[in-house]
Amino acid sequence: MDFTFNEDQLAFREAISRFLAAELPPEVLRKNWETEDGCSRELHRKMVEQGLTGLSVPEAQGGLEMDDTAWVLLTPLLGYYAIADSVVDTAYTATGLLSALPEGDHRREELLTGIAGGDVGVAVAHQVNPLVVDMDLADVVLVEFEGEIHALNQEAVSYECNTSIDSSRRLGRISVQPAPESRLLENGRDIWAETLNRGAVGVAGQALGLAQRMLDMSVEYASQRQQFGKPVGSFQAVKHHLADVAEKIEFAKPVLYRAAHALANNERGSDLYSSHAKLACCEAAWLAARHGIQVYGAMGYTWEADLQIFMKRAWALDSYWGDRAFHKSRVAEAVLADDALIGPQHTFEE
Amino acid sequence: MKLTFSPEDEAFRNQIAGWLRNNLVGEFAELKFRGGPGDEHMFPEERKRWEQKLAEGGWTCVGWPEAYGGRGLSIEQQVIFFEEYARAGAPGRMGHIGEGLAGPTIIAFGSEAQKEKYLPGIVAGTELWCQGYSEPNAGSDLANVQTRASLEDGKWRIHGQKVWTSLAHESDWCFVIARTEPGSKAHKGLGFFLVSMHQPGVTVRPIEQLTGTSEFNEVFFDGAVAEDIVGAPGEGWAVAMGLLGFERGVSTLGQQMQFQNELDEIIRLARANGAARNPGIRQRIAEAHTGLRLMRYNAMRMLSSSQDGQADSSALVYKLHWASWHRNLGALAMDVLGPEAELIDDAPYELSRLQSLFLFTRSDTIYGGTNQIQRNIIAERGLGMPKEPKGR
Repeated sequence: MDFTFNEDQLAFREAISRFLAAELPPEVLRKNWETEDGCSRELHRKMVEQGLTGLSVPEAQGGLEMDDTAWVLLTPLLGYYAIADSVVDTAYTATGLLSALPEGDHRREELLTGIAGGDVGVAVAHQVNPLVVDMDLADVVLVEFEGEIHALNQEAVSYECNTSIDSSRRLGRISVQPAPESRLLENGRDIWAETLNRGAVGVAGQALGLAQRMLDMSVEYASQRQQFGKPVGSFQAVKHHLADVAEKIEFAKPVLYRAAHALANNERGSDLYSSHAKLACCEAAWLAARHGIQVYGAMGYTWEADLQIFMKRAWALDSYWGDRAFHKSRVAEAVLADDALIGPQHTFEE
Repeated sequence: MKLTFSPEDEAFRNQIAGWLRNNLVGEFAELKFRGGPGDEHMFPEERKRWEQKLAEGGWTCVGWPEAYGGRGLSIEQQVIFFEEYARAGAPGRMGHIGEGLAGPTIIAFGSEAQKEKYLPGIVAGTELWCQGYSEPNAGSDLANVQTRASLEDGKWRIHGQKVWTSLAHESDWCFVIARTEPGSKAHKGLGFFLVSMHQPGVTVRPIEQLTGTSEFNEVFFDGAVAEDIVGAPGEGWAVAMGLLGFERGVSTLGQQMQFQNELDEIIRLARANGAARNPGIRQRIAEAHTGLRLMRYNAMRMLSSSQDGQADSSALVYKLHWASWHRNLGALAMDVLGPEAELIDDAPYELSRLQSLFLFTRSDTIYGGTNQIQRNIIAERGLGMPKEPKGR
């Protein structure tokens, strides 16, 4: 029983944390959020240089070959800085799928090398997401077709691009025609199911980071803003709002870590653990958004306050890779299954 | 207790329903179901004309005494009016601040000359009002207003800044609370002023909301002349608080009908897209229904039983209840929409009615007294509990 992280993982997080803090002061973050693309190409190039896109790419393809447990330290940082979805979708979710394909496949290795080098963006068109995110930034899109997994080049996909309430997201309705030459794997159902879990855990981590960001901002605001001759944060009615958010965040962390461990070790309970993580982290983000706006008062309702950037992102991610109803029913199915492992001795059973 | 309407009331229902059917047509047809919460910035010119159309039919200020140009309707008939107004999908009222707040305040506290001067424009739907209460440092702490009013050559002149002023950019008049006694503190030394928005010394600057639209504003007064003061200098707080009492009056019925329209739309959507099969959604829809019903019953009780000692405490809890209910309704709407809730069809940033509703309801628990302030009021004024320690 060990919920701690190893030194490499912690050092990598520390480096990325310093990098993002330096690169993304609030005014730059807002500027990127409001640009046409919803993200900055230059920032993306620098993230590649930091090794972020190659984090879980196998060493043979130029990556660092770290597993899901390393990612749960990073996705909260990416959420904290409202990094656009294409990074996690490509470098974590799609990379997880590609790495799981049989070694020696020419396209697998080409794509993984491209991801590590920052030259290839990959979108995943999973059925749980009716809209494909950042299709316009992706060179390749992965789709499932009758149990087969296909990789299609962007030119082979017809899509229309819509904007989201979160200005950093571009949503595409796609239609594809898989062909024999686009097929990556014939029997891909298990990998495809695992990809859903990885997508959910990737979003969960970002939601946790968004929650922390909104909490930090709200604490700062409530400590400065004065009414009745005192900082509003001194009133219990206000500070308790933020204490409740802190509680949600702290209790979501181990749930997220548990899910990552399950994914890294191919545990059979991964559906349950990743759904639980998605629910717990998104709930924290949701509460942080709701209470953050409340604590900011009318300022929280303005375009000018950066809080809205994180709030809208939390809202969008809430239903990305499965909405609450989807994940709650997966938890219910697992717990109520005939062969469910219940009883005190099964808390950490695989 | 009598929970049914009389034959006269039902005849009245036919009258207003028929009028709306015959008049919410032509140029006004596009206004149906528009201008509600989160949509107040839409169709301002058309909705101003609609105010005048209503006035022609005698359908503004229906609860005011006839002596002041109102229709003198009973509570029952006001209820019916608002029900039919919402059922017809008639647009959000541009004149509600004048009709619901400024007018009743002038009727209650103003001089005869003031009544003659200001009430006809409100009744005719030709003069719109906005509310100059909040300031950058006077939000929850409303009594901390710093805006000054000084007598210069026999005229009151206003200096200071108001904020979150809804529809200031469309308004002809603003009622302003300002400090008449320099150096006075809190609720002492304030005056309640009526200020024309059409004069030098008034600057309106829109505030962009997280919806990307601007319905409220910052308003700067640089020596603007106040045409009148309601009540005596130094007694503005009593007038201002009297006005807030009207905010909980009959006009809330119209708001509830609006809520009913929103809930109905969400229910239709849930049935159409299958969300209604989800047990979690079903429960929340049922909760929304019961929450709205008890809001309506409570409002009727409040309005019909002014002799009932309980009415005061039910008025105190009203804002907290509806604001929280509406906020939850906005979240429910998004969950019913599911993953497509975030989709914007029209760039740049044109939101659907339900998206606007969701974002707008984030402000419900803030404006007009936050939920936290409401709970303090319930505890301190309603329950008589000790006051929260304050810094001054």
